[in-house]
Amino acid sequence: MFKAKILENGDISFHGRLDASQVDKANAALGQVDKSCTINFHDLEYISSAGLGVLISNEKRLKENGHTFRLIGLNKHIRDVFRYTGFDHIFEIE
Amino acid sequence: MLTIDESVIFSIQLAIEELFTNMVKYNHTADSDIAIAIEIGENKIQINLTDYNSTEFDITKTQEVDISQSLAERKVGGLGLHLVKKMVDELSYHYSNGVSEVIFTKYLENQNV
Repeated sequence: MFKAKILENGDISFHGRLDASQVDKANAALGQVDKSCTINFHDLEYISSAGLGVLISNEKRLKENGHTFRLIGLNKHIRDVFRYTGFDHIFEIE
Repeated sequence: MLTIDESVIFSIQLAIEELFTNMVKYNHTADSDIAIAIEIGENKIQINLTDYNSTEFDITKTQEVDISQSLAERKVGGLGLHLVKKMVDELSYHYSNGVSEVIFTKYLENQNV
């Protein structure tokens, strides 16, 4: 299962597994964002291409107004997924 | 007892999800189940996904994804099979009489067995 929490400061934390069956939840959370913010991946175990699709579509939307996501706390396997897809050059990752 | 590295498990989960959702997405007429078989050997794990009512679509012959594209150039989607090709060691596709079978293998070499 997947959960996205929107924190008081506007940042977001992802929890669980972001697979194809959970993309609506991720989209519902990211769709509320209208300015630059940080997404904390620390408690996210897994992401597939469906999850990447939600991230890139919302990043495109934010960029139109000069905003962006900053991603932190990615585990080794999720970092590999970002590297294999070139997403490590598209997103600001710490 | 066989201990499977976390990265191998992650790759297998991702490959199964991508291949399964791909089979579902690109086969609108199928009303049969998709079978998944997992065979764990000494040095490798082999997974077979079989769709018994499908049209032919060789997933091993899809166009390469250009991962150097900028955000503006990127289209949403199309990365699933690219990731599978990066994360598995062998990938093959067989089609015969309406049955599509995708087989992939992940080696267990250099594991703490």
